[in-house]
Amino acid sequence: MSEISITIQTADRSKKAEVSLGVNSTGEDVLQAAISNWSLPTDTDYSLVNVVSGKTIKSNSSLRASFIRDGDVLEVQPVLVAG
Amino acid sequence: MRENNSILYVQYPALSKKTMERYLRQSLIDWFPQKRVQNCRIAIVGCGAIGNEVAKNLALIGIGSIDLFDFDSIEIDNLTKSVLFREENVGSMKVEIIAVRLTELNPDISVMPHQGDFWDTLSLLQMNNYSCIIGCVDNFAARIRLNLMCKVAGCNFIDTGIDSKFVQVSIFPYKNNSSASCYECSLPNSVYARMQERYSCGWLRNLTFIEKKIPTTVITASLAGSLATSQALQLLIEDKPKHSSRLFANSFTGETMISKIEKNNQCPCCADLKKTIVITSKSALIDSVVLNFADKNQLIATSEPILISMRCINCDPEHDVKIIFDKAEKFDSSHTVCPRCSFESVVFDIRDRFSVSELKKYFSGRYLPVKFIRGDSVDSTTIIEME
Repeated sequence: MSEISITIQTADRSKKAEVSLGVNSTGEDVLQAAISNWSLPTDTDYSLVNVVSGKTIKSNSSLRASFIRDGDVLEVQPVLVAG
Repeated sequence: MRENNSILYVQYPALSKKTMERYLRQSLIDWFPQKRVQNCRIAIVGCGAIGNEVAKNLALIGIGSIDLFDFDSIEIDNLTKSVLFREENVGSMKVEIIAVRLTELNPDISVMPHQGDFWDTLSLLQMNNYSCIIGCVDNFAARIRLNLMCKVAGCNFIDTGIDSKFVQVSIFPYKNNSSASCYECSLPNSVYARMQERYSCGWLRNLTFIEKKIPTTVITASLAGSLATSQALQLLIEDKPKHSSRLFANSFTGETMISKIEKNNQCPCCADLKKTIVITSKSALIDSVVLNFADKNQLIATSEPILISMRCINCDPEHDVKIIFDKAEKFDSSHTVCPRCSFESVVFDIRDRFSVSELKKYFSGRYLPVKFIRGDSVDSTTIIEME
């Protein structure tokens, strides 16, 4: 299987998309696509979390290596820096 | 408390009558170990909006000793988010004012203010004294440094972050599990790219860089403070968390999500750390430091980059370099302009890796201008903190 169907959403759930992605796509690819397609603020950093498994996804790892499966929901969360 | 697979039951001193009355309601909570809370010591690094909330919570529940670390003074715009500051405190040091307020809130506790950058005022060997360190800093560079210190010292670390809507509290139980994933394990690459904007020519401070101010409110700050205090209690009471995790909350909707932070085998902080970490403290004199390493080819990493030398490619002959041997972060982008020819023609040698023989040969008699150095052998990492 070279593609998986997943849902990607923003942390406030205001944006959501069902997409098919190659299993070799990385977490970074997913983040860049979300930032670009949804015009998310570019002065913020984001991380990706698998809502179904409750695990963070490393930006360099492929979706296959991160054990992402069909039907998983990936959430784009801002990395919060203010204290 | 466990030690060598046996359970040691710690005897805490009895509470006075007044103290028992103060904590009467808390003592009715079946899981609340008041004595343990009173006998523990927690450090708060960063005394801004979240730091205020955490400090207030820790004092009220009766944490026995609280250490405060911050270099900054109070500004008028802090007053909308900082419960412990008053208008007449503007201009005063944050740690000093918080220490006074906490003692007013709870005269039974001990509060120690440490004014200055925690990188200079917090010692790795001292970190063993803390049940946990709660990071309430406001930039990635400080988080990365604090995480590194906690990781190598084996001190439980709680990191907090906010914006105007969301709250993030991450727990790294390094004391309970030395191989727990660290803060940098899940940090996206974009953070490092953004941090580099602070520097020019590698590690010289970029004078044109302006730090972005992120708007926040006391709502997210107080939520972060409550969640961080709760996590600190978890660590204190149960000694239970073994894995690093992150709690992400939406202050508008109340939705929260907990995710496990996965170990990253390419993590710039912890991937190369060995299972055994030995920390000692020594004079920064190079001739003294190198005595700790028998192998002259041993590679030593410094905790921060050192500016070895600088030379103007227009004015100075090729071999006429000016030896500096000081922290690179003390220098900024203005130093790239030669004062003699006024061209941007000064080149630098900045490094954070040296062999033992190289240090002996070229830098004997000098002092290492860094917080600590690190050397790795097959099965252990040696950290030497400069006295």
